[in-house]
Amino acid sequence: MFTMGIDIGSSSSKVVILEDGVNIIAGEVIQIGTGSTGPKRVLDEALSKAGLTLQDMAKIIATGYGRSSVEEAHKQISEISCQAKGVFFLVPSAKIIIDIGGQDVKAIRLDSKGGVKQFFMNDKCAAGTGRFLDVMSRVLEVNLDEMAEYDSRATEPATVSSTCTVFAESEVISQLSNGVAKENIIAGVHQSVASKACGLAYRCGVEEDIVMCGGVAKDLGVVRAISKELKKPVIVAPNPQITAALGAAIFAFEEVIGANK
Amino acid sequence: MSRIESIISELSSISNNPKKAMEDYKKETGKGSVGVMPYYAPEEIIHAAGFLPVGIWGGQKSISKARAYLPPFACSIMQSVMEMQLEGVYDDLEAVLFPVPCDTLKCLSQKWKGTSPVIVFTHPQNRKLEAANKFLAEEYRLVREKLEKILSVQISDEALNNSIEIYNENRKVMREFTDIAANYPNIIDPIKRHAIIKARFFMEKSKHTAMVKELNSELIALPVEAFTGKKVVLTGIMAEPNEVLDILKDNGFAVVADDLAQESRLFRNDVPSGTDPLYRLAKWWQEFDGCSLAVDTKKSRGPMLMDMVKVYKADAVVVCMMKFCDPEEFDYPIYYRQFEEAGIKSLFIEIDLETTSFEQTKTRVQSFSEML
Ligand code: SF4
Repeated sequence: MFTMGIDIGSSSSKVVILEDGVNIIAGEVIQIGTGSTGPKRVLDEALSKAGLTLQDMAKIIATGYGRSSVEEAHKQISEISCQAKGVFFLVPSAKIIIDIGGQDVKAIRLDSKGGVKQFFMNDKCAAGTGRFLDVMSRVLEVNLDEMAEYDSRATEPATVSSTCTVFAESEVISQLSNGVAKENIIAGVHQSVASKACGLAYRCGVEEDIVMCGGVAKDLGVVRAISKELKKPVIVAPNPQITAALGAAIFAFEEVIGANK
Repeated sequence: MSRIESIISELSSISNNPKKAMEDYKKETGKGSVGVMPYYAPEEIIHAAGFLPVGIWGGQKSISKARAYLPPFACSIMQSVMEMQLEGVYDDLEAVLFPVPCDTLKCLSQKWKGTSPVIVFTHPQNRKLEAANKFLAEEYRLVREKLEKILSVQISDEALNNSIEIYNENRKVMREFTDIAANYPNIIDPIKRHAIIKARFFMEKSKHTAMVKELNSELIALPVEAFTGKKVVLTGIMAEPNEVLDILKDNGFAVVADDLAQESRLFRNDVPSGTDPLYRLAKWWQEFDGCSLAVDTKKSRGPMLMDMVKVYKADAVVVCMMKFCDPEEFDYPIYYRQFEEAGIKSLFIEIDLETTSFEQTKTRVQSFSEML
């Protein structure tokens, strides 16, 4: 039996097709999100990769910021519940999840069965989110996927505000014009993202294992900065961008077999 | 339309249209209205003068002109109040009563941009001393004196004691209403509950009391309904705009009790008995606890909220955090820790009167309902 999870975020679209609730047949990501062609394209891509059609899906659940606009879905579940489900499936020892996406940062505390015990989300400011890193990568003229490498060469991380993207951007510009090395600025940017996320994690109560997911988890500079701030190891979920879509596909499977509480 | 529906619809339309309520009052009595800024002003003094006290709580609004006078980190209630001052919205008021229990209010009280005269007074924060009562009674004496001058009326002790009784009666009926409403969540949804309570700010209190009393008796005549959703207690300054309450409703939440500064905090205590009305009003402030704006060395807010959860069999507390409200933000970590220790579930949502996008609130509320 096949089930599907569709996660439409603010800046990317993800689909997971699951067989019998355990085998990931397809897990696709397209880097544009709600309101774009992304959702349709990623759906087509996942189906063609799996060699299946929508009719083959026993149930489809949508999640993410754009969850209510997915016509193909039979149901919507919030991304917090889906992240918890997906991450717990991949890392059953997870206690705290730090999820940094395009416009949201979330810290989620799990109970021993993987259920959500508490969660906190960022306020509306983009500071500390994927969008914040986008802005910084543009100002610094360094590709997002090169940021971690730059960070690893930093000698003295610069200080970058963690409260406001606009302040942070002007801080970065003035540091650039003062000749501060990009490596050090990028390490500062990563620290700023980390301090925002860790603020939420502290509210949840920090407990190992700590697992990171969401698009920003691919930036190892951020992962290192979070680990340093929390003084604890941080596990990056395998394929961290698709964990919420995976969770949605698992929920869909559980609903079909009636395993839900 | 049933009597219940018609009372609710009348109160809702009053709460949505304060301007009309003021005009109607003027037509009826020939007297005008006096604005009452948050929090805990002695409205009874205005009532005793025969004028209509009108609550000023800002509104959902985009802010532009106010930016010239307030920093971006001032709470959105005061941003919107300032914006409306600059638009002349409050200029029909005969006067404005202006307590200053937080820094934002203190600063704002010194830059009122409307044309109405403003009467500023202070609540003492060292509240548990007898001297605090004397100080506040004296503040209220000055408020009365200024109002008498501005409104060209005499406000006798007798009239004031009478108004206090009218207000106490309203407080009692409102406590009964919130208790009764908790048993009829399908009829009194979060939006209606809020509108019924909010109408208090724009009506002569004995009229409001009579309508709510009637509503209460109509409600209790009905069988208590089964409710399949979740029950919550709200805490914070306010739970506006209505979109927030809509999201709670859409996700199957009923509000069974609240600790909002705009709602139950105003009527959970009566003004104590006595002969000197100003002293009685002052004493109310001394006895009032569990609010971020009134120094509370015992930190009773958390235990009080936990009691409410128990009494009303609520599933959780929803913290309606007014963005940039420092008194409320300072209280939060204290009661949050108490909740954690006691295993009380809570949800933190952000209240911002300026916002028009509620996606984040939706996600938080939906996740929370899935979590419970
Ligand atoms: S108490 Fe909070 S919300 Fe109210 S005026 Fe002061 S800062 Fe604003």
